[in-house]
Order: sequence, then structure tokens, then C-alpha cells
Amino acid sequence: MKNLTDVEIIESIKKGNTADYSILIDRYKNKSFSMLKRMLKNDFDAEEVLMDCFLKVYNNLSSFKYESKFGTWFYRIVYNTALTKLSSVKRKIENEMSSVDDLLHLKSDYNADVLVNEDISEIIKKVVNQLPPKNAAIITMFYLEEMSTEEISQVLEISVANVKVILYRSRNLLKDIIEKKNLLQGII
Amino acid sequence: MKNINDELLNKYLDEELNPEEMDEVKAAIKNSVELKKKYEALLTADNLLKSIGTDIVPSDFSKKIINKIRNKKLLAQQQKYFLFTVLSFFGLLVLGITGYVFYEIISSVQVNESSEVITTYSKTVGDYFSSLFGKKNLSILGSVLSFIMLASGYFLYEYQKHSKKNFSH
Repeated sequence: MKNLTDVEIIESIKKGNTADYSILIDRYKNKSFSMLKRMLKNDFDAEEVLMDCFLKVYNNLSSFKYESKFGTWFYRIVYNTALTKLSSVKRKIENEMSSVDDLLHLKSDYNADVLVNEDISEIIKKVVNQLPPKNAAIITMFYLEEMSTEEISQVLEISVANVKVILYRSRNLLKDIIEKKNLLQGII
Repeated sequence: MKNINDELLNKYLDEELNPEEMDEVKAAIKNSVELKKKYEALLTADNLLKSIGTDIVPSDFSKKIINKIRNKKLLAQQQKYFLFTVLSFFGLLVLGITGYVFYEIISSVQVNESSEVITTYSKTVGDYFSSLFGKKNLSILGSVLSFIMLASGYFLYEYQKHSKKNFSH
């Protein structure tokens, strides 16, 4: 049963087998939760929004026309619902491109003391959790969901070039932090 | 040789360059200590991002959603039945009143009278309805119907409130 494709599960749900929806939920819940957690910076909000997304997806399953992968359609709903949540709590939403200043600010947060004393994987986790919503969404989809930049561009409804720019900027931020840490360790 | 910037290094990492450019960047990394350090840092960042791991939702998450969907379906079905019951009640009430009116008319008229009977019937029906919806009876009828409507409205509201409460749990 678990080996069924998304399309086969959707067909089964449309025939009235509501219980089969749990297979789809189990397939996508953790990765989408990770994305929401990094976008909303809050576990409770992430769980609440994810539940809302799954209910929204179920209610609109009849409008899914198989023109794109289910994952792409699902993540578009998740991303847009997260943006709505962010705007409803009056948090800052970056527009088409995330500001370079946001990332520079993140880089300066990690001083020599932190860089020398903390494990690099922990630092990276912290930085990823502090990324602006769009960067966080792209990083999660690219690395956790292993989506291509084309698929991500469909989810975010931006160009592939923009997806790459945001991905490279996020990666370069981490690269710079690692370089800085390596340099400091070399000095010590 | 072209300037190897961060963008080019990222493209090299994702193998998005053509074979000649790939070779060119590879050679540049090999020949420059600074570039090699830069690329290794980028590679470390990439590997750390790959191993960042997923966050886990509570174990009863799927069950909660399925229950919510089932409750919503049940609520919609119950609302449909409730509406059907209320409408049936009013339908039966109207049918009962009409039946009673006809019974009263028929029992007050002789059965063997022919064409005159129809005229008499229609006249009597007209008179009956005139008296029924006359000034005096109309207010009583209106009050009774309003009372029924108010009572139904109250029960419908209470029922909705109760169902909503159940659904949210």
C-alpha cells in the first residue's frame, strides 16, 4: 500500500477512501513541517499551518488536474499558506528577491568566540533556521525534498535564475562562515 | 583564464557548466590554494546542508487530520438530515392543514350534487380561505408560524453550535 504512487493514492481518495489520505500525509508531513518551521521560526505555528494545508489539500483534491507533480502542487499550497500566516502576524515578507543585507546581518551575528567554540554543524543549523522565509523554503526543497531548481521555481512562481541566485547566496553565506571558522582555527 | 567567482564555483558544484568550463574550473582549483580553500568550504556547506535532517511532527498528526476530515463529513451529513427533517415537518404541516380544510368542505356539502357542487366547492373553499386569512385569523396564524420558526431557529442554532464544538475537538 505504501508503494503506491501519489496519483494512485489521489485516485483512491477521490473514490471515497478517506483513510488512504493518511499515506499521503505520512509521505509529506515531516519535510513540509521542516520547511514551515524554518519559514515561520516557530514549532506551534508550523504545525498549525501544516494541518491547515493538509485540510486545504484534501478539500481541493478534486481541482488537482495532474498537470504538475502532486509534490509541486502541495508545496505551492504550503508556501503560500506560510506567506499568508507571516503576513497575518505582520512579519516581514521579502518580495521577489531576498535582501543581501539580511544575509550579511546573519554573517555578522557569528563572532570569533562563537565560531571557535561551537561545532560547525550546529552553527550551520542555527544559520539555516535564521534564513529569510524564501531562502529557507528553497534550501529545504532543494536539500530535503531533493527538488530540482525548475520544480522549486514552479512552487515559488519565480524564475529558475532567481531560485539559483537565492540558493547560491544562502550557500555562499554558509561557505563564508566556514571559511571564517577555518581561518580562526588556523590562527589559534 | 576567466575569473572564478562564487557563482561559477556554485555552478561547478552543481555540475551545471559545460565540459570545457568544468575542466577550466577544476584546473583553477587545483592550481590555487585560495580557490581550493574556498571550494572546500563551499563543499562542506553543501554536505552539511544535505545532512541537516528533517523535523518530526507529533506521532498522532495524521490521525488528527483524518479525524477532522471525518468529523467535517459527518457534520455536513447531519446538517443535510436536519434540514430535510425540518422541511419535511413544514411540508407535512401544510399538507395536514390543506387536508383538514378539504375534509371540512367536503363533509359540509352533499355528495350527489353535480356541476353545482364544483361551483359550491370553489365558493366554499374561497370563503374558507377568506375567513382563514381574514384579519382575525391571520394574526393568530402568523403568530403560530412565527413561534414555530423561532423555535426551529433556536434548535438549529443550538445544534450547529454543538456540532461545531464536536468538530473542533
